[in-house]
Amino acid sequence: MVKSKLFVFIILLVSVVIILSGCASPISKNAVVVHSIPAMQQHQKTVTIKTQGGSETSLVDISNISDIVFEKAIEDSIMESGLFTQVIHGDDSDCLLNVSIINVTKPVFGSSFTIKIETGWSLSDPNNKKIFMRESITSSYTATMGHALYGPKRFRLAVEGAIRENIRLGLMAISRLQLE
Amino acid sequence: MLKKLSLSLSLLLVVIFFSSGCAVNRATATLDPTADLVDIDSIYVTKLALDKRGVNLLIVDKLKSMGYTVSTGDDTPSSVDVVVTYKDKWMWDITMYMIELTVTIRDSKTNFPLASGNSYHTSLTRKSPEEMVSEVIDNIFKQGDRDGKE
Repeated sequence: MVKSKLFVFIILLVSVVIILSGCASPISKNAVVVHSIPAMQQHQKTVTIKTQGGSETSLVDISNISDIVFEKAIEDSIMESGLFTQVIHGDDSDCLLNVSIINVTKPVFGSSFTIKIETGWSLSDPNNKKIFMRESITSSYTATMGHALYGPKRFRLAVEGAIRENIRLGLMAISRLQLE
Repeated sequence: MLKKLSLSLSLLLVVIFFSSGCAVNRATATLDPTADLVDIDSIYVTKLALDKRGVNLLIVDKLKSMGYTVSTGDDTPSSVDVVVTYKDKWMWDITMYMIELTVTIRDSKTNFPLASGNSYHTSLTRKSPEEMVSEVIDNIFKQGDRDGKE
């Protein structure tokens, strides 16, 4: 009787440790691309995108977004919205868009995970260094047990939601600019 | 049989526990391409309301050692060149230690994050708060190709 109780206890403990550690999955690009932005003003210019402050997701970490996935998600969102005519991978563009991830506020435990992300968005002319926009953009997203029962997945969904909202707000801010 | 299984599971538990988060080291910095840290003279370090450990004072000491005119407090004055904000996270493992520190240099008028640095060191590779502050700020200014005013 005592042995079977010990067995159940160990099984439960192993399960808890596994769930609490080493189960993070990286953010996928498709989950954070913004598909529809209403009333988007389109600029007849090309853009180069640079992202900073992201990090890879390791097996023992929580879900993060890498710079390359963040950049591709912004690129796809721009192309879908038509905000710029083309995204250039190089130095020969009309505009340089830099997006830096500054702060990610993450909960440790909870039935609902609210992730808050602050990024710095700047848009400039790479040729004459003229600054069109500098804006700190903060977004948040709450994933509940209704989104996912499994904690690490709920956490990933919260991060994805906050990043998606951040990209949406950033692109809307650029859309409001008069670049011509 | 049951005893062997319990032993195996216990060993598995120990392996999982020790393979998760034992030694994670991360030190990154960002610098916005429109930012220029070279012209900075005066810096204000905004004290985090929840900070009871005086991390703001460590940041002040580090920046002063680099030759800047630095002040600190709870306000956000616009009469300085830049404002520094920070976020520290502590963990307990035998003793309390700083696991993560993020320092951000902001435009004093617009709050725009010009540059930012983050260091994350788990228990086995823990650093003292002074070393964490030094690492983060050095990494930020390396991005701007500057080691300080002196």
